Amino acid sequence: MAVVEARRVTRLFPMAAGPVAAVRDVSLSVGDGEYVAVSGPSGCGKSTLLHLVGVVDQPTSGEILFDARDVAALTEAERSRIRLVRIGFVFQRFFLLPMLTAGENIELPQAEARVPVADRRARTRELLEYVGLADRADHLPSQLSGGEMQRVAIARALANRPALLVADEPTGELDEQTGEHIADLFDRVHADGTAILVVTHNPVLAARASRRLTMKSGSLVS
Amino acid sequence: MIRRWLQGTAIAFVAGVALAHAGDSPVDTQAPGVLLSRQLAARARVSIGDSVTFASDPEGTRTVTLRVAGIYEPTPDPMRFTAQRLEAHMHLPDLLAVVADGADPADPAAREAVDTINVKLTDPGDAGRFAAELTARAPGVAATPTGRARDDDPFAVLDRFHLAISAVTVIGATAFLLALMVIRAEERRDTVAILRLIGISRRSLLTAVAIEGLLIAVIGAIFGVLTAFAAEGLVNRFFQARYDTALVFLRVTPSIALRSVATALPLGLAAGIAASWPLLRGEILSLFRR
Amino acid sequence: MTSLWLAWRTTKRYRVRAVLAVIGVAVIGALLFDMLLLSRGLLASFADLLNSGGFDVRIVGSEGLPIVRLPIAGSTRLAAELRALPEVRDVVLIRIERATLWSNERTSRTVTLVGTTQTSGGPYTIVRGDDLPRDSSSDRCPLLVSRRLAASLGVEPGSSVQISVSPEGVRSALPPVACRVTGVVNFFFASTGEHSVATTMTALQEALSVGAVDADLMLVASQPAAGPAAAVRAIQRVRPDLRAYSNEDVVALFNQNGFAYFRQISFVLSSLTMVFAFLLVATLLTVSVNQRLGEIAALRALGISRGRIASILLWESALLVGGGALLALPLGGLLALGLDQLLRQMPGLPERLHFFVFQWRAVATHAALFGVTAAAAAAYPMWLTARLPIAATLRREVVG
Repeated sequence: MAVVEARRVTRLFPMAAGPVAAVRDVSLSVGDGEYVAVSGPSGCGKSTLLHLVGVVDQPTSGEILFDARDVAALTEAERSRIRLVRIGFVFQRFFLLPMLTAGENIELPQAEARVPVADRRARTRELLEYVGLADRADHLPSQLSGGEMQRVAIARALANRPALLVADEPTGELDEQTGEHIADLFDRVHADGTAILVVTHNPVLAARASRRLTMKSGSLVS
Repeated sequence: MIRRWLQGTAIAFVAGVALAHAGDSPVDTQAPGVLLSRQLAARARVSIGDSVTFASDPEGTRTVTLRVAGIYEPTPDPMRFTAQRLEAHMHLPDLLAVVADGADPADPAAREAVDTINVKLTDPGDAGRFAAELTARAPGVAATPTGRARDDDPFAVLDRFHLAISAVTVIGATAFLLALMVIRAEERRDTVAILRLIGISRRSLLTAVAIEGLLIAVIGAIFGVLTAFAAEGLVNRFFQARYDTALVFLRVTPSIALRSVATALPLGLAAGIAASWPLLRGEILSLFRR
Repeated sequence: MTSLWLAWRTTKRYRVRAVLAVIGVAVIGALLFDMLLLSRGLLASFADLLNSGGFDVRIVGSEGLPIVRLPIAGSTRLAAELRALPEVRDVVLIRIERATLWSNERTSRTVTLVGTTQTSGGPYTIVRGDDLPRDSSSDRCPLLVSRRLAASLGVEPGSSVQISVSPEGVRSALPPVACRVTGVVNFFFASTGEHSVATTMTALQEALSVGAVDADLMLVASQPAAGPAAAVRAIQRVRPDLRAYSNEDVVALFNQNGFAYFRQISFVLSSLTMVFAFLLVATLLTVSVNQRLGEIAALRALGISRGRIASILLWESALLVGGGALLALPLGGLLALGLDQLLRQMPGLPERLHFFVFQWRAVATHAALFGVTAAAAAAYPMWLTARLPIAATLRREVVG
């Protein structure tokens, strides 16, 4: 069963010279536990597609179905709820809250989901061990390396046990070796049953996916 | 004393006007003239040429009928700006006909004919000496120069009060300014780090920061002065309408504008430099954003 | 992980700007607090001063403000009539003249001479010596002298002085009268720089060389059961030509006329400080939010609701404004002491009159105004984050 399905979605952006189709008539589905990678040249629309599938943006036309529900028919609060408990987002620039420790960053989505304090502390410890940072719980992001920050971001994305992990160039700001460690971590997440949709330039990361797609000029070409 | 009588005749005056209008009397060009304040003329709805009657009390004791020769704007008095200026200026014999019971003003034993005498000296600088001599020669007469305020004059005290308020406002504004400059400096942390890394000297950076701070301070000061001039008009119009007076409540003089700019410029410059100082002095690598 | 906690952590992270913002709000808040004290302080102090003598009605012979005095004809007989009224408990006659006081042939001072029929519990506190005697047969001219005057002339209780009255409108100087200082006092109503002395009406009569002296001010104490309003009405029935004012009436008259400037400046400055504090915090918050747009968009992408982010911003505003507003209270208190000292240099003001008087009502108003300011300052940043396009912001952050 598909966790998320995009049906002939198009996303137009109004520009002074006329509207630009960042995503053009794309259909895509990510099944339960599936690992999908989307690659393509810069500006081909892969991040836009990711935002549509991640329920962060709305298509100009077409449908996005999440858990078989049409996202467009939902209120913003309902979409927010989906992002909180069903989707985990990993960003290229990590976007950890700088004033919270690694542990607190991971606790934040759980607190928003009203997970009891004891449960979320336990889950946070579990996730920090999972990403290999058990001893860095009390460190601020400014005290972590790039790879460590991305691992905390992945742990944060997994905090509420999402059905789908969505990652936008997760190794974009990391060196090759660190990127490989992140790719290993993604493998582990996939092996544990979480569906993954990743947008990446990194061939090593793309190669780990069970299905690889290529985008060009807003359309999927393979 | 005469002034108190005049306040008391306001009601009698208005009643007299009503009577005159009700009787539809023709304009009496032979009657002596009286000048009315704008406020009184508006309240009594009289115009130039109308006949008006003054009486010493509401019962109409001792009346005199005069012709409105003119309507004037009373000189604003900051000590009485809330008072309604219902005033009239008439010749002294006409006033005495109303208030004094037939007393001869030339008789020193008669009731006081006036309670204030304004004296214009040939040399205003003699005011203090003249007042002192007059007081010494005429016991019971208080002679006061009306010139420059003394230190304990109410308006001199208010002036100091306003200055204190301004000082407090400047301190608060400085904290505000520093906060904003700190934010600006933080935003340019990376830029400054890169510039220092590629070899731009601290001196050059400090000069750039200083010039930028000065520019912002100049623009801000000019904007502030323009805002003050605009506010001057609004404040004066509001309070003049509120209290029905021509008194000027707020005046932004060139001296005040210059003082404000002279305060704002160094503060703006200093705030810009102070906020950027940690970036210029700190270790380069520690400046790169994390 | 409440919104307050997150707001506190954000504030701590940007502590330099937060401290500066709190200082800015505190200084401006101190000014606001002082203006709130000023708006009613002078009236409250004036009312206290009027009530301190124990009399709640004043009778004068003239219209307008009850400070311009004309002699009240037949005041002695009138006092007896008023004492017989069921609404009246006590009546005191007062006459005020300018005089010259000599401590010896060479040293003199111009004084305000108050003649009164009240021989104890008057509007003064005795520093040394005794009050005016009830029975004036042993002492033809007993005198109470203000503390400053006594120090200036070097007189003490028991000292002999001479007093010569200079009544208004009279050209000739009256012969001096020998007086004995019975007490050194602090007069409630004496102004800074003014030298005041008080004596009995009998002594004043002698100083004026007249058989009987009319009062130019009568103080009336109403019966507690009747109250000052009833006493005023009863007095008006007896003598409709006179003006009787309760203390509330006097305060209301001064509020309308004499205090208008302070009321206006208090209003204007209160409004300006509110606007200033609002601008300060709104600008800081808006700039801060603009700096953190990527973070905020990421939080929204993670599922943190708009409401949560808005409440975090509201708490951030509350922390800055609340911190400043709290600090403003003691700061404002100190500032008020200085400003009060400054304003009391005005000539002719009673020494005991204060412009800034602490009232809990002012604290409550201060808190309410800053509460509104905090909410208003957070409004635009909250609106910004509510309308934030998540995807576009994330894209911009990556590109930027």
